[in-house]
Amino acid sequence: MVRQHAVKTLTPITLITGPLGSGKTTLLRYIVETTDQRIAILMNEFGEIAIDSRVVEGRNIRVAELAGGCVCCSLIGEFEAAVVEMIETVAPELIVVETTGVAEPDALIINLQDSLPQVRLDGVITMADADGMLQFPQLGHITRMQIEAADLILLNKIDLVSTLDLGRVAARLREANDAATILPVERGRIDPELLFGLGRAEAIGRHVRGPRRVVRVHQPEFESIAYETTKLLGRRAFEEFVETLDRGVHRGKGFVRFADGTYLFNFVAGRWELEEFRDEGNTALVFIGEHLRSRENEIVTALKTCER
Amino acid sequence: MTISGSIRRVSDTVWEIPASFKPGMRVPARIYGTDKLIHEMDDAVYDQITNVATLPGITNYALCMPDGHFGYGFPIGGVAAMDPESGGVISPGGIGFDINCGMRLLTTNLTQDEIMPHLKQLVDRLYERVPAGVGCTGFVKISKNEFRKIAAEGARWCIREGMGWNEDLELTEESGCVAGADPSKVSERAIDRGYNQIGTLGSGNHYLEIQVARPENVIDPEIARAFGITIPNQVVVMFHCGSRGFGHQIATDYLQVFLKVMQTKYGIRILDRELACAPFDSPEGKDYFAAMKCAINMSFANRQVILHRIREVFSEVLGRPADRLGMHMVYDVAHNTAKSERHDVGGGRMKTLLVHRKGATRAFGPGMEGIPDRYRSVGQPVIIGGSMETGSYLLAGVASGAQTFFSTAHGSGRTMSRTKARKLWQGRQLQRDLEERGVYVRTASWSGLAEEAGGAYKDIDAVVGASERAGISKRVVRFVPIGNVKG
Repeated sequence: MVRQHAVKTLTPITLITGPLGSGKTTLLRYIVETTDQRIAILMNEFGEIAIDSRVVEGRNIRVAELAGGCVCCSLIGEFEAAVVEMIETVAPELIVVETTGVAEPDALIINLQDSLPQVRLDGVITMADADGMLQFPQLGHITRMQIEAADLILLNKIDLVSTLDLGRVAARLREANDAATILPVERGRIDPELLFGLGRAEAIGRHVRGPRRVVRVHQPEFESIAYETTKLLGRRAFEEFVETLDRGVHRGKGFVRFADGTYLFNFVAGRWELEEFRDEGNTALVFIGEHLRSRENEIVTALKTCER
Repeated sequence: MTISGSIRRVSDTVWEIPASFKPGMRVPARIYGTDKLIHEMDDAVYDQITNVATLPGITNYALCMPDGHFGYGFPIGGVAAMDPESGGVISPGGIGFDINCGMRLLTTNLTQDEIMPHLKQLVDRLYERVPAGVGCTGFVKISKNEFRKIAAEGARWCIREGMGWNEDLELTEESGCVAGADPSKVSERAIDRGYNQIGTLGSGNHYLEIQVARPENVIDPEIARAFGITIPNQVVVMFHCGSRGFGHQIATDYLQVFLKVMQTKYGIRILDRELACAPFDSPEGKDYFAAMKCAINMSFANRQVILHRIREVFSEVLGRPADRLGMHMVYDVAHNTAKSERHDVGGGRMKTLLVHRKGATRAFGPGMEGIPDRYRSVGQPVIIGGSMETGSYLLAGVASGAQTFFSTAHGSGRTMSRTKARKLWQGRQLQRDLEERGVYVRTASWSGLAEEAGGAYKDIDAVVGASERAGISKRVVRFVPIGNVKG
């Protein structure tokens, strides 16, 4: 989707969904501990994460500052108003919304797209509980909707199931959503680079340095490849190139310079967008995917054919 | 296994899926509806109602009303009566997150002609004075401790505070206060979410409507008279709301509690985690029941306060006190509850069962206890909210309702997701169309209005018609809307 109207950098929003007890809070705790970005988390109840934090009451949110620079916000007013207040008062690099385990995510996604022009939906992350999926043979209907909406499915609690069962569970998830990246994780441990696209500050301040590469700790099979050029890219050629990216590429992010200016590029599991960007930077892109290094030549060659 | 090969037609409006359909089913599932309604139901309904049939203690049948559609765990429209003596469970997914969500109906002594000159002003004023929308806060400013009193006392608290008439209590299910509510079983977070929401409609399909009973729509004049519908083109007010964030948080809290103990402590194995439950007689089950009753009471109080506001607005706009406008309650009845009731389980054997009704309305027949004295001879009033375009119904409970533990439909039921409705309709355009057809609408959310388009719902006439033919309720009056405030 091409945004024609964006004049300043939009704040990326990531939705985290998943059934009760699937490990959303554990994931959030891990994100807060490991990120170096100022992330604002909007959640139903932050008691479990923001213990002993100073809490400030706003109009639509209650804000707790965390030690590492992240903030937790809980909703007191309307969702849309809360997000606007977060952007205005906290100015985070990115916003993560933890939906309740019972939420139907598609309504929330439409709310974002309809009523919040200052944000960009970065991605939908759905926690799946490998152990729970074995205990309960059926996916609940709301759980299924959450899985269907996902760009990234984190298959959590893999330490509790056998390899064979893990394969079965992954196949059931794949049946419900064949586009998303499915990533097995233990106790929500995942490299944040796989979770998020470009943060706001990253886009505005650090883009001269280019987007960051993957920090490979927990998901060594995920590799990144980079591409930089001072040449202009042809817009149509680039868009056609993006459409050829298959499931092997989980994320793409960075900056693309066309004849009419530089754009922010965000790609997650086949869904992508270009956002107009004020700066005149050169093209600098990173792609992340499973064993992607082996395909570096192929992808870089394809990108070179887009150069003008 | 496909459902079409397994479903058997029991009668014109009753369909059965045998217990052999799925391993673990303890009883057959029965779905109510005409051929057309049954075929319009999404597959998830069949899947979910047969899952319900596997729950411990389920008695006779897992039932689904004619307005059934998918929900969290149970389908909306699901009815399940659990026998505590046979390990019967309580399940939050069988009650719904908006605990005690329900309908309240009041009359006026005005006709449509008399109200038309004031209609826009009434709707505008109601829109201003009855807070609606996601996260809206109420006009009743109280402390958290006072809120705990409301959770224990329900609508009685409102009457004591001067917000209503004594007769209102008598005309509310459970007299507006269910016994056994224990605020100490409710989390701080739930109190936090609820204490400023008394007197709010909320969002989604919650609304407040001014309606008319046209003479040709009075189906049973005798019962209509007993319910207070006595004048041709009489104006009535109907509204639909529940326990807001409070009930939602209580359900979420206890689902988590139940997930922890269900298998490890009680050895209950279920097919879908959305059906998380605990034995009704267990400490966890009892705690949830006591907490859930707080949400029941909060919701009765919520509707009582809104009723009070409506009376104020009418008397301001029309320049007469509410009693001289004949603004008496017909009834208040919920459709998201679980209640302990005595039922005949076959051959005259009476048992105390925990009846889950999720998107299903209690519909006690004539002569039964629990019905206000003045309606005892005709049966309990049942209020069915249709979509804002198609009209609503007042029904009465019947003796043959025993087959569904005296339960019937609750509304028209969605035929499509909210998302899909938003893609098909546009809120602003819908409002203009409705105005041309004589319905004046005010809404807190345009996209929310689009979700409630009449086309997104099943045919309400078909739903209540099927309920009547199946013998689980009878039609009394059909109302058509003329003004609507949508949450």
